[in-house]
Amino acid sequence: MMRNVYIAATAMFWAIVLAFWLSSAWMPQAGQPTGGPADRIISTTELARHASPASCWMAIRGDVYDLATYLPNHPSRPDIIEPWCGKDATWAYDTKTKGRPHSRTADELLAKYRIGKFSP
Amino acid sequence: MSLIRWLSLPLLAMVVPAGFAVWAFPQGLSLARTAGIVAGWLGCGLLLVSLLLMVREVEVARWLGGLERMYRWHHRTGVVAYLALLAHPLLLAADGFAESPALAWQALAPVDESWPVWSGWLALILLMAGLTITFMRRLPYRAWRWLHAGLGVAVLFGLLHLVLLGIDEPVLPILAAAMLILAWRAMRDELGLAARPYIVESVRRVAAGTIEISLRPLATSLTAMPGQFVLVAFLTGANYRGCGEFHPFSVSSIDRNGVLRIGVKALGDCTRRMQSIQPGVPARVQGAFGSFLAGPPPASQLWVAGGIGVTPFIALLRAGGITSPTLLLYLYKTEAEAAFLAELRALAAETPFLTLQTVETGELLPDLERLLPDAHCLGCRDCYLCGPPELTAALKPALRKRGIAARRIHFENFDFR
Repeated sequence: MMRNVYIAATAMFWAIVLAFWLSSAWMPQAGQPTGGPADRIISTTELARHASPASCWMAIRGDVYDLATYLPNHPSRPDIIEPWCGKDATWAYDTKTKGRPHSRTADELLAKYRIGKFSP
Repeated sequence: MSLIRWLSLPLLAMVVPAGFAVWAFPQGLSLARTAGIVAGWLGCGLLLVSLLLMVREVEVARWLGGLERMYRWHHRTGVVAYLALLAHPLLLAADGFAESPALAWQALAPVDESWPVWSGWLALILLMAGLTITFMRRLPYRAWRWLHAGLGVAVLFGLLHLVLLGIDEPVLPILAAAMLILAWRAMRDELGLAARPYIVESVRRVAAGTIEISLRPLATSLTAMPGQFVLVAFLTGANYRGCGEFHPFSVSSIDRNGVLRIGVKALGDCTRRMQSIQPGVPARVQGAFGSFLAGPPPASQLWVAGGIGVTPFIALLRAGGITSPTLLLYLYKTEAEAAFLAELRALAAETPFLTLQTVETGELLPDLERLLPDAHCLGCRDCYLCGPPELTAALKPALRKRGIAARRIHFENFDFR
């Protein structure tokens, strides 16, 4: 019986993975992040006022992102990402503090939280 | 089996993964993402339990209801862990599907990711490959055993996946526990530190393709009862090169001076090689395990033996252990291959309570409906079955059909795959 469960579950897993791929390839790209307003200038002082998990802004590659609603979804533990609230986190984002960049998925996800341009 | 022992394994299999899931339960996330994270932790906890259940220690096995039961739960927890770990990435991907199918696919596609995600995929693929091998019953035992051990590597990659995601608490203690279990198993069981030194004292052919090996202890002898089995690894002697790997063998007798005898039928490469073993070959013996034929003696018994499955019964008869009417139904392919047949006939002639019924079956499974005593004759007998899995599988429903309650049908599969 275990063998049959294994075969059925494995086949179903790959079928669902295939379905995700096909839907990604064929379905309209609705809901893609479009980014926020480009004209708002945010200074270092204003950025520093949002340095808590409840109100967490970060400057990354010249743009500012409001990541408060995203923090619970971040895969790493909170004390890795939360210290960057209210700061320029470009280096941390580009290296994950270990010399590894974030994925393209992360870049696309990040765009959704953009709130303005950073003016150091 | 006492209620506490009976409950031990189900409780262990529930408490450890549930503890992990409660500890790591996320707050304020979507349902799919929460379910994905919980599925991952449940899989992690179940894999740890599965690892723990592959440790072969006599006392641990006794407390958990026997080695065979531990291995059965090792398989169950392993497969359920696999199901939870398959669900883990799918649920995380499903979380992004409502927003965009592309986002959902990007959560799964390893192309754009890095080691934290790659290690998770690697663990899952290794788990998948390892389980495929586990279910390949035609693979030679030696190759199967080593490839099955590769599942331990999958567990380590899975834990590495968590460490790389930055979740090092409580993952580092879990990783340490997993490595400790794997090292314990490797040293105590694979390298034989838990086994005792014996030497082959004599070898006797008891049928075509079956020998009985007497093993004399070189240090303290182990304690074994009729119905139990031991794990034996034969090493290299003067004119014999042993496989060096542990195989389970039923004990056929235990002498007062600690000499134990085992029945060995040529069933695979290693046991075929053992047919030419000679006195003086060193061996390592671990055990004894199992509780077949243990417990209070019932009023009357039916024993059904298939082939070499007669070994536990001859051990009990040699020990003079029957005090109630017993019918031994002995099934074998040909009389030349029937181990201990002459001795059993002699024992039946001199043992008042024993009735021996022998049946030459040929290659096919016999007609059990015709062979088994009818419901009236079976009465309130306890039934003990020992033979090939297909025979045991056919006997159980046939006995249930005759009104024998499941609790009165006793068997051990002696199957370690």
